[in-house]
Amino acid sequence: MEVSKNSFKTLSEPVKQFGGLVGIIILIFLTFFVLNNIFGEGDELVAKMKIEEERIAEERKLNKLISSLPSGVLVSFDGTDNFKLSDELYEAVCKATKLIPQRAIMGANFLNFRAHEIYTINGNKIDETFVKWDDEKNKCFAGFVVSGNNVGVDETVKVSGEALSFLSTGIDTRVYFIKNF
Amino acid sequence: MKKLIFFILFSSLITSIALARSTGCKEGNCENGYGKWIYTDKTTYEGEWVATKKHGQGTETWPNGYIYKGEFKESQWNGIGILFFPDGSTYEGEWANGFMNGKGTFTWSDGKQKTGIWKNGSFQE
Repeated sequence: MEVSKNSFKTLSEPVKQFGGLVGIIILIFLTFFVLNNIFGEGDELVAKMKIEEERIAEERKLNKLISSLPSGVLVSFDGTDNFKLSDELYEAVCKATKLIPQRAIMGANFLNFRAHEIYTINGNKIDETFVKWDDEKNKCFAGFVVSGNNVGVDETVKVSGEALSFLSTGIDTRVYFIKNF
Repeated sequence: MKKLIFFILFSSLITSIALARSTGCKEGNCENGYGKWIYTDKTTYEGEWVATKKHGQGTETWPNGYIYKGEFKESQWNGIGILFFPDGSTYEGEWANGFMNGKGTFTWSDGKQKTGIWKNGSFQE
């Protein structure tokens, strides 16, 4: 111990300073390593960040596609004068669409009287809407949930069907026709 | 900043006036007679009016492609009428209170048909 102490003393000043610098750097790395293990989420955080980055990239891609679509009604079926979506565009529009306007809801309610009653009683209030792409069926499904008290009974009704047409406003897209029959 | 606020308020005013002018009774007599009414969401009704209500024969067209042609009573689809769905499906028959009620035929866009009695939009087996 005494020997190593004496040999350290014999070292030149620049070597001592360099050794001190290396020691401080190692200490800093160790401190961060310990703190990261205690408080950090490590790989989990990196994975979450990657997912978020992918989501943002996908959203940008969809937004670019939406802005390239013509304004007006977009349909997934033949027999109308409206813009016919290709299979690829149909999937992309479905994934980018979030909104279901009132007329689409009212149209779907023609085939669901209970939903119509609750919707009317509640002043056209909707609990939840959803638009989902089904990879297995290669179809877009949309729907909504209404709930409320109907003649003394608490009811919740979910209406869903194939989303066959959309409205492109130039800024966003909306489900325009839900085929629930 | 003041100019920007003035510009926003002025634009809102112009938009409101333009919107107000494009809706309401656009043709004919929408109180008692035959007229065409355009709603703010671009839904249109063209047909007979009695005491400012849709009453008699008329056609209601929704912007998303639903078209009802037939009888109206008290502004509701009542009587004999045909509803065209946006995909080409149709229901032709009796209506009450805005719903398929009574005898009618539902025809899917692929040609499949179902005829019988309907109650509040549901087929009675």
